[in-house]
Amino acid sequence: MRWATRQGVHIDRAACAWLIRRFIDPDPQFLFVADASEVPDDATPFDMPGVEYSHHGADCTFETLLRRHDLTDPVLWRVAALVHEADLDDGRYDAPEAPGFDLALRGLSMVAGDEQTLALTGPLFDGAYEFFRRQVMLGREPA
Amino acid sequence: MHIRVDSTTRAPGPGEWVLLMYRLPREPSTPRSAVWRKLRRLGVAQLADGLVTLPADARTREQLDWLAEEIQEAAGTAGVWLARPASMAQERDLATAMAAERAAEYAAVREGAHAAAALDEPAQRRAVRRLREELRRIRRRDFFPPPEREAAVAAVEALAAGPATSPPAAPAAALGKGRLR
Repeated sequence: MRWATRQGVHIDRAACAWLIRRFIDPDPQFLFVADASEVPDDATPFDMPGVEYSHHGADCTFETLLRRHDLTDPVLWRVAALVHEADLDDGRYDAPEAPGFDLALRGLSMVAGDEQTLALTGPLFDGAYEFFRRQVMLGREPA
Repeated sequence: MHIRVDSTTRAPGPGEWVLLMYRLPREPSTPRSAVWRKLRRLGVAQLADGLVTLPADARTREQLDWLAEEIQEAAGTAGVWLARPASMAQERDLATAMAAERAAEYAAVREGAHAAAALDEPAQRRAVRRLREELRRIRRRDFFPPPEREAAVAAVEALAAGPATSPPAAPAAALGKGRLR
């Protein structure tokens, strides 16, 4: 499937691309556009104003994707807390790592293109998911 | 008040600003106050009733885009515009007003740090954490850093260093300098 989002990827779009590849569409192709009017007909837009997979109410796009695809895995919702606080910083969740992820993604966007940012952040979100999975399983901080 | 306008990204003449014009029904009041809280957190300048603005960059545009969407979902109307003040003076007035609001917030942090110096050590450590967090939040919406910022940073770092050591005024001030948006 083809997926389209805005250029200049930050935390929410990078995390959504990771979520799509890992849990929604095993063979996604991502396009980056400057404006919603440039999204091709066969591509599903995400994290753009006015589209289905976007911010809704207090949710960021990552949370919207989880809800629309009935992804109830508590580990994914812990990743959602990280993404939400790094993106919106509104205190909805307790995610003390969020400012660090925010800085990492903003810095990355200064030195890497969108494709490269997705390639580099994929393993980062894999690792965060694994960390939170062990944390949930153990009920304490993993080693 | 001395206002630094970022000269590395700004061409001569007024810079670009992103404007959000919006209207929300008076009732229910929950979405109204949610929007109000978010606007405060973003540090917008209020130009008129239902018209707010921030210096335009990728991040501020996106934030106001999302807010416009949220307002429309709450049965309001909203539009996001890009514009330039017609004169340098008008931009300077806007920047000065925004800097004054941040200056008051920094001053409150500094007073908090001074007040906390009288507390016992565990309470001081908690105060340092809280005040550093507060500084981080203010910085995120500080587009035209006022001189009060360095004083606030120095006061919090002096509290963190404790009474035994002299306050690290110089490093704290150096840290605050040259931070560009």
